[in-house]
Amino acid sequence: MQSIRSSVSLSVLAIASLVLASCAPVRVSSSLGRDVHLDRYHTYAWAAPDSFSTGDPRLDSNTFFIERVQRAVDGHLRQKGFERAGEGQPDFVVHYHARVQQRLDSTELRPGEPGCEAGGCRPFVYDAGTLLIDFVDARSNQLIWRGWAERGLEGVVDDQTWMDATVDDAVRRIMERFPS
Amino acid sequence: MRVTLGICAAVVVGVSVLAGCAPMRVSSHVDRERDFTLYRTFDWGPADSLPAGDPRLERNAFFQDHIQGAIERNMAAKGYRRADPPAVPDVRVHFHAVIDRRIEVNLLDYQPGNCSRDECEPEVSEHDEGTLVVDMIDVRTNRLVWRGWAQDSVEGVLTNQDRLARKIEDAVRLMFARLPAAR
Repeated sequence: MQSIRSSVSLSVLAIASLVLASCAPVRVSSSLGRDVHLDRYHTYAWAAPDSFSTGDPRLDSNTFFIERVQRAVDGHLRQKGFERAGEGQPDFVVHYHARVQQRLDSTELRPGEPGCEAGGCRPFVYDAGTLLIDFVDARSNQLIWRGWAERGLEGVVDDQTWMDATVDDAVRRIMERFPS
Repeated sequence: MRVTLGICAAVVVGVSVLAGCAPMRVSSHVDRERDFTLYRTFDWGPADSLPAGDPRLERNAFFQDHIQGAIERNMAAKGYRRADPPAVPDVRVHFHAVIDRRIEVNLLDYQPGNCSRDECEPEVSEHDEGTLVVDMIDVRTNRLVWRGWAQDSVEGVLTNQDRLARKIEDAVRLMFARLPAAR
């Protein structure tokens, strides 16, 4: 009985997490540097991954995560006609930063809506993950372009398949904004 | 959109209530192309080149001993033998533990009968959450092939050796249930 009850509550939790993550909005944005002539750029190289913490010990120095990000970005850059530099100096360097932060949020609930009954709005906490991709001119070290995406990560990191899909989706949304 | 937010809010409430009595959360990432049955032996990884953990645990000899013992037992149960020096092991194992402050919202306050209509203030509290991460690195390729972790509240655990020992046992056992077996 005990195990039935706990597996029921576990599956409720799993379904709830799925619904939750799917309704967490994905925010995407980007900015292009001033006076940037993208037609000058053809080849790129990866900067070394960040050595500081992402804020989530499960993702720190996690090569499964790091390589998924790099592979996704490589795919989109290849599609857009860029090449990974071989021996010579690349035209630009790609950096990425990942950050996970716990957020406390009640701003999206208004009085009278579900979740906002008498007594005020219920705040809720969630993990927000941000993935930021920078392209930096290899000669001048100036930022050419920056794109980022942010979304709730509830349950995502614990499920490798879901994490891979989330990385692919975030990178796709970011790279769609890159003009080419 | 409003309806969606309402559903979200209801779901968030559900998740948070369940999280109040949350069990330890355990999961792992694995190199899916790796054939773990080719592995035979393991040894401990060098500690210095790896991320630092929380000093409350890194300098806690009781914690370090227990965790090493638990990992060695669970590795053996999965068919990994400790390499006899100077033999080079197939994999190296490294662990580190981190403690973070986490916020939680106590939703019991919203249950009918817990408060009168005007006094239902949300109670936001914080607790210390521990994350234990265990990495397994292929010695030949120097690549991470498996990472397992367990996360749980460590309130009142760090100063109580019995509770700490039990948490470690549970964390390592549940995590290693997910590790592919060696031959």
